[in-house]
Amino acid sequence: MILSEDYLQNLLDKTIPQIHSVANCAVVLEGSIAEGFGNSSSDIDFLLIADSDADLPTMPSLLFLDGRRVEVRTRSVRQLAEQFSAITTDARDHVGAVPEDLLNRCQRLLRSFPLRNPDLVAKVKGLMSFDDFQDTMREWWAHHARQSIRYALALRELGQEEEAAAWTEAGLLQAVKSWAAGRGETYLEPKWLPMQLDRLGDLSLCDRYRTLASVEASGLDPAEYSTAGVRLTADLGVAGAEPDAERITVARATGVTTWQTGDRVHVVRDKQDVFVLGDRAARAWRSVVFGRPLGSVVAVADASGAPQAGPQIAQFLRFGLVKVAWKGEGPIVPAMPLAAPSGPVTPPPSVARPIVTVGGAAVGGEEGIDLVPMPARRFSAAAMTLVWSNVLVENAREDLTGALDREQWSVAELSARRILRAALRGVLSAYGVNPLPPDSEVVRRLSLLPAGADTDEIRAKARHLATLTIASTAQGSAALTALDDFVALVRHTIGAHSFPSSFDSSDGWRQTLEIGYDWLRLGAHLDADLPIDEASDLLSSGGAQPHLATT
Amino acid sequence: MTERLRILVTGAAGLVGAEVTARLVAAGHQVTALVHNQPVVVRNDGTPLEPDAVTRLSGDVTKPRLGLPEAAYQALAADGLDRIVHCAAITDFGLPDEVYQAVNVDGTVHVLELARAAGVPLVHVGTAYVCGERDGLIRETELDEGQRLANAYEDSKFRAETLVHKAQADGVRAAIVRPSIVVGDERTGVVRDYKNIYVVLKLATEGKVRSIPGQYEARLDLVPVDYVADIITEVTHRFEEAAGRTFHAVGTPLTLRDFSDVMAEYPPFHVPRFVPPTSFDAQRLPRRERAYYERVMTLYESYFRRRMRFDDSHTAGLATRRPPADGQDFLRALIDHCLETGYLGAPPADATEVLARLNITGPDATSAANATGPTASDVNGAGR
Repeated sequence: MILSEDYLQNLLDKTIPQIHSVANCAVVLEGSIAEGFGNSSSDIDFLLIADSDADLPTMPSLLFLDGRRVEVRTRSVRQLAEQFSAITTDARDHVGAVPEDLLNRCQRLLRSFPLRNPDLVAKVKGLMSFDDFQDTMREWWAHHARQSIRYALALRELGQEEEAAAWTEAGLLQAVKSWAAGRGETYLEPKWLPMQLDRLGDLSLCDRYRTLASVEASGLDPAEYSTAGVRLTADLGVAGAEPDAERITVARATGVTTWQTGDRVHVVRDKQDVFVLGDRAARAWRSVVFGRPLGSVVAVADASGAPQAGPQIAQFLRFGLVKVAWKGEGPIVPAMPLAAPSGPVTPPPSVARPIVTVGGAAVGGEEGIDLVPMPARRFSAAAMTLVWSNVLVENAREDLTGALDREQWSVAELSARRILRAALRGVLSAYGVNPLPPDSEVVRRLSLLPAGADTDEIRAKARHLATLTIASTAQGSAALTALDDFVALVRHTIGAHSFPSSFDSSDGWRQTLEIGYDWLRLGAHLDADLPIDEASDLLSSGGAQPHLATT
Repeated sequence: MTERLRILVTGAAGLVGAEVTARLVAAGHQVTALVHNQPVVVRNDGTPLEPDAVTRLSGDVTKPRLGLPEAAYQALAADGLDRIVHCAAITDFGLPDEVYQAVNVDGTVHVLELARAAGVPLVHVGTAYVCGERDGLIRETELDEGQRLANAYEDSKFRAETLVHKAQADGVRAAIVRPSIVVGDERTGVVRDYKNIYVVLKLATEGKVRSIPGQYEARLDLVPVDYVADIITEVTHRFEEAAGRTFHAVGTPLTLRDFSDVMAEYPPFHVPRFVPPTSFDAQRLPRRERAYYERVMTLYESYFRRRMRFDDSHTAGLATRRPPADGQDFLRALIDHCLETGYLGAPPADATEVLARLNITGPDATSAANATGPTASDVNGAGR
């Protein structure tokens, strides 16, 4: 140890008066200094052991004595017995699931240095044999090494050599920790690994590890590094992570669903996040068949018109839209050393505007896997409102032309206003405004839209059209032209220029229904708000054209 | 098992019949398997039963004396049996009416004749869909409620079950098991034949059929083949408790919304639009989709509207095993197996290939689809 026993006893004498200690408790020094590591800045870690069944607090006390940070923990014998027992139980079920903190606590105690009441210390150390603990540590590290290396192999299948090398580096560290643990070097933190390897002596495996300890320092390119790392991992005794393309398969990520509207593919994660895919990304996504080898999925995707599908599938993997599995052994769950599995990455939201078009969410490019910048339910509700607003425009326009034919000027004026408001409901929805303001407010609430040439023009024209009066054939005709121009501008802006003229023909109505049903399918999945009762009718009661319902 | 029974199983080579036969053999019974032309009885997982495990009789339920030679028939009738389990049936949809009459109705007449002549208890395998297009709760005690039957298949099974009831009144002792839509194994999803709902799943998930007239709240009842076989076996064993009663061997109903949500979990799958029947117009479908619709989907249309729920109190009171607790999980197991075997999830196939698999020569073909309906048993065995 870098500190003498006298020094430690002296420090303990100064420590005890400052804390609530139990009579006849045992005290040990644990951690890096007890292990024989440490330096001048290392903490002093005391563990006080009460020979009782008490529930002593887990939170350590922190003191500063002699220029050192002193950490004091307390545990009763019952609590320590429970810790050891939990390790045995958890390891029997699934060694990888044993919590790191639990292992750390037990390891530090088993390798601690007694300072008070050595009999009691020996008694608690006797609660678990060090050989058994060493085996558990070896298997625990091996499990994590296996997962990291398998993940690295999967990334290599996807052409992600640099990321694969980083995971190989992590897996290699875990593998060497497993190997060292099997030789009694069970200290958990990797920071003293160099000293652990030094203590193990001049072994060629140690030397090989030292040359591969970091990708950068190895002098190898990522692919060479991964190949060498996987080989060394196996030599370090971690089996089950040998390159075998047939064993790495794609697997389901729970809570991920796919919804296509028109030609646009949306992937919904946990009913919360919507990812919209560009055409090539969509082809890659459509090639993902659960249970099939990753390599063959990439090959099929490449063949289906999504060349370079590997990087895209890797992105799906990072975003948690799909998992990789080791055939017969379930999903691969990698974790960096002493870190929790990182979980899905969420990219920054897409900046494409408008957010929603009739044919689907806006996407940045062919290879885009873009996160829609609004929650799934509101996205779905906005899309349905957008579609329905276009139907309402069609419906109101029919009413307007009919009223003009019969010179019903007041009816015409009302219909003109309905066209304007319905179109604006569509504009607001396209920009993600949901729920919408009341119809009387839609012109004023155009202030919510971002500035831009199209939106500025829409705002200006809408203010003008809101004051339209129709009292003659000429005014009616001018209003119709102005409204048609305005609807064309709106539809161009919100990507609805191909919206069928719903009421012109039965084919037009069928196309409208199909667009509506595509969106309603997603809406039903998300229990999203339907825009209005008529849209709900589409789902449940027939979807007949409203204005033909009585004929 | 307390005693070794002598049991005749009709339709023993069919999907359900083979599983029932295997269970009865495993329980130590002496089983006579009536088959039409299959040389071996193959279980759902593809394992053939040992040839000497059963006595195989080649026959034909559509013919008097089950198409057996006089001597063989008389040997059965004269104290040669303790039970008859009648699994043989035509379950394909879209066939001429006379085929259903011959196999499902006349076949049952001939089986009843043997049961009567031999004085042997009969376990008749019907279908839960004798309820026709009724909505709401369907009880095991109900049969003729004036319901509309959706197709010739349902009609024939309804008439067959009615004949069983009449025979019971005349002294034949019988119990009836009514499975719903029989699909793969509960745990593994394994299924020997991809029929009925599987054909619909294939066309829908590959985007061949994009619009289906149906209600999101309509329910389809899928039941695992192993569960059905267990119930039939249990009824056969405990006939004294089961006699005179009917047992629904049904699963956990799935709404079309459940189907839609589960199908959406698979990246390659298309999810069909369920269009309210009143606004669905097949004439407006694209030509190729219309062909699939007319040849296949029309056979099932009625099932996408029904909102019935099957009561299975009798079954719950008799059997220890219960159907799958989570219908969506069960559907996932079925689909996962289809992916594993390549039945689903293959790269989009050429349309002609799918038509060929369905025994349709092209979008304009007029031959009937080889699609099958929801029932317990299978066309194999002593049927046609």
